[in-house]
Amino acid sequence: MSLERKVGAALFEVIDPELGINIMDLGLVYGIGVDYEDNVEIKMTLTTPGCPMHDSIMNGVKYRVGQLEGVGNVHVDLVWDPAWNPGKMSDKAKEMLGFG
Amino acid sequence: MKSDTNIKLPLAFIIYALIALVVAQVILFFNSDLLLAGQFRLPDIWMGAHFLLLGFAVMIAMGAMYQLVPVAFLTPIWSQKFGFLQFILTAAGVTLFAVMLGFQPAKAIYGGILAIIGIILFIIQMVNTIRKQQTKNMMTYFVLGAITSFFLTIIAGFLLAWNISYGGIVSHSSILYSHMVLGVAGWFTLLIFGFSYKLVPMFSLSHGFSMKWAKSAFLTYVIGLVFLIGSFWFGFVYLETLGWILLFLGFGFFVLDIKEILAKRIKKKLDKPFTFSLLAIANGLAIHFFALVIHLIGAENPIIWSWLIFLYVMGWIIFSIMGYLYKIVPFLWWTHKYSEKIGKEKVPTLKEMIDEKLSVVLFVFLIISVIGLVIGGLIQVGLMVFIFQGLLALTSLVYAASIIRVLFV
Ligand code: HEM
Repeated sequence: MSLERKVGAALFEVIDPELGINIMDLGLVYGIGVDYEDNVEIKMTLTTPGCPMHDSIMNGVKYRVGQLEGVGNVHVDLVWDPAWNPGKMSDKAKEMLGFG
Repeated sequence: MKSDTNIKLPLAFIIYALIALVVAQVILFFNSDLLLAGQFRLPDIWMGAHFLLLGFAVMIAMGAMYQLVPVAFLTPIWSQKFGFLQFILTAAGVTLFAVMLGFQPAKAIYGGILAIIGIILFIIQMVNTIRKQQTKNMMTYFVLGAITSFFLTIIAGFLLAWNISYGGIVSHSSILYSHMVLGVAGWFTLLIFGFSYKLVPMFSLSHGFSMKWAKSAFLTYVIGLVFLIGSFWFGFVYLETLGWILLFLGFGFFVLDIKEILAKRIKKKLDKPFTFSLLAIANGLAIHFFALVIHLIGAENPIIWSWLIFLYVMGWIIFSIMGYLYKIVPFLWWTHKYSEKIGKEKVPTLKEMIDEKLSVVLFVFLIISVIGLVIGGLIQVGLMVFIFQGLLALTSLVYAASIIRVLFV
């Protein structure tokens, strides 16, 4: 499995504590990049700006990815553009929220 | 943005407040005969009322604001050390003041002064924090309106306590009515409006709503307050009518926004305690409507007004707070205990930290006791007031325990 895929799989284990759904199914992760030194760059957003759980979730991402074998530095790039919207959720997440 | 507030500060307020809630309800239980008589202006009821309003509701509001203002306004608390000092002075002052109102009303002013100093320190803390906010939004205005009302409430409270000790200030009843309206409607209602604009979308995961009524809600409600209070001083009955109409309309505008936020929510199945806070909003709207109707039909009976104020305080303010606490406390504790562990090990969700089934039972009992009390009070059945105030005291005790239990998860 490529490192990108491994990172993606690991992020399924980072759960948003308010919603109880992982950040991949929520569609918060916009992109995963790995450079030639295996440094990982994760571009992600959060559901609302000013969400009190920001730091916790971002630290969780860094920690979880940092644990993977062979990963160099981990950098999380928090972006607000494009803004998250419910359409970015997986069907599983939508179902868990009773949406759609 | 991580709120840098030291968790001990909000928790100190919340734990004190939960104890005060139980104390207040037990005091009111032992005085249920006075409640029955609709006689609320007596030392024991003053004591119970201020344990409930200052000891519980104000202390929770302060604790929650230490936590929420930094995250919602994206500015750190002005001074944490000052916060602890403020807690100690306010807790001591409120306790002393409430107890003395009950046992030595003529000396209550001394406790009152201490409580007022604590509250003024809080106001300084919040104003300094909010001043640092980069871009002001509608929420800022609600919170500033609330804080201004709070300040006026305690000034009026001081004059009342002064009068009970030394006498000499005329228009005691105009001051008392202004004090009550500024305290329950000015301070608490504006504060809950402001924070609901942040909390309701957050807990229902709502997106793309407009808040288009927020400004009208704010202006209408504030002008309503000014008119109603003006009527106590100038005695124009139209001013009072207009005041009640505007307060009801202002509340209605707020409800329109909340309805839109909920209609655009993504989380369809809302958590039960949060639903209870939403129910409190519906109660608030209904109570504002009753007040207008009772005023329009010209009912002068003080018993009706006493119970309406009771309903306002319990059904709207206290119920809102009780619902939100089931969110605020798990969040505080989660941040303290698990935020470093997310991604490292399995951490509970906020919902897993509370006993939601028990909360539903408690909320049902709370609703039953408040309805039972009001009916018992209005039709003057002593046994009902006794039983339902007893149920309310017991439910408050279990409620307080269920919140404190979160800290052991
Ligand atoms: C937000 C805070 C407060 C609220 C919501 C509030 C609310 C009330 C209410 C509803 C009453 C009528 C209760 C009854 O008659 O049993 C009352 C009475 C009174 N309050 Fe407060 N109060 C607050 C703070 C204070 C403070 C800080 C003081 C004094 C330092 C104070 C002094 C008094 C006094 C002396 C009375 C009795 C007046 C009378 O019946 O003649 N209050 N307050």
